[in-house]
Amino acid sequence: MKTFFAVGLAAIALVGLGIAVHADEFTKEDAARWQAEYMTRVEAGRALWVSADLGTNGVVCAQCHPNGANTHPETYPKFQQQLGRVIALREMINWCILNPLEGEPLDVQSPEMVAIEAYLAWERRGVELSPGKH
Amino acid sequence: MNRIILSLALLIGSVGVILGAAGQSRAGEPPLGLPPVPIPADNPQSPAKIALGEKLFNDKRFSSTSMVSCSTCHAAEKAFTDGPLSVSEGIQGLTGTRNAPTVVNAAYLTTQFWDGRSPSLEDQALHPFLNPVEMGLPDHSPILAIVRSDDDYAKAFKDVFDVTGEKITMTEVTKAIASFERTQIAGNSPFDRWYFTEAATLNEAQLRGFGLFVNEGRCVSCHRVEQTQALFTDNRFHNIGVGINNIQKEVPEIAGAFLAAEATLAEVDVQVLSDVRTSEIGRFAVTRGFDDLGSFKTPTLRNIALTAPYMHDGSLATLREVVEHYNNGGVTKPGDPVNDFLSGGIRPLNLTEQQIDDLVAFMEALTSPEIAALVPKSPSGK
Amino acid sequence: MYDRNLNRRDFLKAAGALAAAGSLPLTSVELAFADPRKNFTFAYISDSHIQHIKGDKFVRNWDRGLIRAVAETNLLQPKPDFVVFGGDLAQLGSKPELDHGMEMLSKLDYKVHGVLGEHDYYLDLGEYWSKLFGDHYSSWDHKGVHFVVLNSILTHDEWTFDRWPTAEQRMSEMAGLDNPNGSPFMVGERQREWLRKDLSRLKKNTPVVVFSHSPIQKIYKGWNFWTDDAEQVQEILKGFDDVTVVYGHVHQIQYNQIGNISFHSVMATAWPWPYPQSYAQAKQYLPKLTIPMNRADPFFERDATGWQMIDMDNGRVALNYNLYDNKNRVVAFNAKSGQPEDSWYQEGERQIPPQTHY
Repeated sequence: MKTFFAVGLAAIALVGLGIAVHADEFTKEDAARWQAEYMTRVEAGRALWVSADLGTNGVVCAQCHPNGANTHPETYPKFQQQLGRVIALREMINWCILNPLEGEPLDVQSPEMVAIEAYLAWERRGVELSPGKH
Repeated sequence: MNRIILSLALLIGSVGVILGAAGQSRAGEPPLGLPPVPIPADNPQSPAKIALGEKLFNDKRFSSTSMVSCSTCHAAEKAFTDGPLSVSEGIQGLTGTRNAPTVVNAAYLTTQFWDGRSPSLEDQALHPFLNPVEMGLPDHSPILAIVRSDDDYAKAFKDVFDVTGEKITMTEVTKAIASFERTQIAGNSPFDRWYFTEAATLNEAQLRGFGLFVNEGRCVSCHRVEQTQALFTDNRFHNIGVGINNIQKEVPEIAGAFLAAEATLAEVDVQVLSDVRTSEIGRFAVTRGFDDLGSFKTPTLRNIALTAPYMHDGSLATLREVVEHYNNGGVTKPGDPVNDFLSGGIRPLNLTEQQIDDLVAFMEALTSPEIAALVPKSPSGK
Repeated sequence: MYDRNLNRRDFLKAAGALAAAGSLPLTSVELAFADPRKNFTFAYISDSHIQHIKGDKFVRNWDRGLIRAVAETNLLQPKPDFVVFGGDLAQLGSKPELDHGMEMLSKLDYKVHGVLGEHDYYLDLGEYWSKLFGDHYSSWDHKGVHFVVLNSILTHDEWTFDRWPTAEQRMSEMAGLDNPNGSPFMVGERQREWLRKDLSRLKKNTPVVVFSHSPIQKIYKGWNFWTDDAEQVQEILKGFDDVTVVYGHVHQIQYNQIGNISFHSVMATAWPWPYPQSYAQAKQYLPKLTIPMNRADPFFERDATGWQMIDMDNGRVALNYNLYDNKNRVVAFNAKSGQPEDSWYQEGERQIPPQTHY
């Protein structure tokens, strides 16, 4: 009982200092930092969006999709005619790298793919999900 | 005893499926991999109508020499084509300019003929009778004379359409033919069984081939595969660089002259089969749109292994040559100049020899067993 | 089940009707003709963006677009009086790109007037362009119509001359449509003065047609669908009965009416751009009148690209869009309503799902 009380006091003290000690706790600072970490991937995604290194012909994603427009991340997964089945956004990203950019598709689990998706979602923030919408 | 009865029932049942009219599944279900076949409201199916249509389809009397029927160029034992002919031969061995497309699954096409000049199976049936290099009749009256006077036909038309004598017209004749053609549908290929039901597997080459079909081969956008069905056609028209390369320099002259003549519909039918140069302008002859210069309809790839030779002019003998044509970016001989009006979907593919072989292997998995069974000495779909 | 109630004649007519604008012979638009001698046609090809990769390799996709537009223009009957190239022949303004583009354009059987685009200009400030096409801005008269070419992709002097250490960097900064380092387009005071003087000798009822790369409107600044001194240019054009501005740059169908001025955009032969409303994070002002082009299928490289035939009828313009893989469209000035309208899709019910952009 005494130990329990002591631990409780210590916990309150630590929380008072802004240190989260329980599994479900995070602070405003944590949230802000994690959001900022996400934004670093958005920046990396933007860099890839204008990079001629994804393809082999100098064409970049931003040429047809300025600010990621017309990529519609909010509609995925959806049936994609160009692949003949329902797919996730990353598969369409790879389709574009293979076809208009004449490049090698990315590994779908790579940090580059996550960065591109992060960028596209950011440019489309606030738009309602419409999965499957053509 | 029960076990014997059961085995017998199964045996009879399975034999019934194999011998049944091609493609007609139990309880009117469409074939595996295909949607229900579109049936127009004014031409419902019936067994009697289908039988009448089949009889008309095979009747050689509907030609000026009494030697040519629909089945001459669309022979069941050749998967409803006339391979190995590149272009078909009609009366007196006269040749046209185009390769006979298969009737199998034509019911799913939204237009008929390579240039889509016919909106329906019913309409399509009207034209070969009158074409000078096909059946060579001056008009349809010889056909009507026969069907009105022949006892068997008269009875059948009365049964099916409740018409006799003068009331039997080409409308009824073509409805019956179309009705028969609508039963020539087939899916259930090894691909269908693997892709839609996982009841079968494809071999390694076929699996790689399917991956290429969707990705580096860039096939699926025109030869459509979808989540629950696969028509292997988009019912659209594309210039893929077959044939038109031969007339590239003459396009302005041919197109201009064609329009100046202001052809009627029947005349289009005659001109495109009689003059190779005119044939090569493809659907432009029908729509007179720039977009359609040199463009032809995407055929289905179902049963493609059985319907050689390939393309609107039958100029490519094997599936390998077909894939090579696409690999070259829309020219048959590598390095030939590409025509100005090439579809935006066609580009050099940079496939390896192995990849080309894999695509061919995949296409060989699209054969329906019931169609293979019609063709003597063909490999019946693995 | 479906109703097969089309006979073949109707079917072929439907298939061919909207191809009329792209077929031979021409002119599918009926307008009231006062004096038939005043009516003529010219062709408009724009935004080819020829892009150099290395050595003698160029981006095949954009090459094919220009090749096809030229080949089809050469098939036109009756022949157009001249051809206008609407700007952005090159992607990064380099000599190889301009030469390669010119090589394709020179296959045209007609005289070609050139309009500068920003992709042609910002490497060498249009020096090589002048050798190929002549003056950066000019005017001429043809069959009673006064034509003007403006260089409407200029920008602030500081950005053009002082900001960037190399010409290459300046060009690449301007090349990114959504690049925040870009700078708004303008016609500028010198040209506005020139235009004022040039038009001052004309009678009020002389039809005026202005060829420009930027829209001479303010549509969406983020992508430079924008001319900073649009109002001032429009003011100069105000005094005339029939004025039309034809512009490139946007790679999509747009049309508008502001006062007495009709505005028509032309398509790119290279690739389509999204409509501004498909960018969720910014306000934009696409003309309400515009029925958008059909959305592109990126598999077909020519989808949502095209070129144009423009009929001058009685001082007003009917713009025939020749669209690959899509029904052709005609946007023509409607004398009754006093604005450009699409001859088929303007009414709500005729619009089709591919025209919904979001």
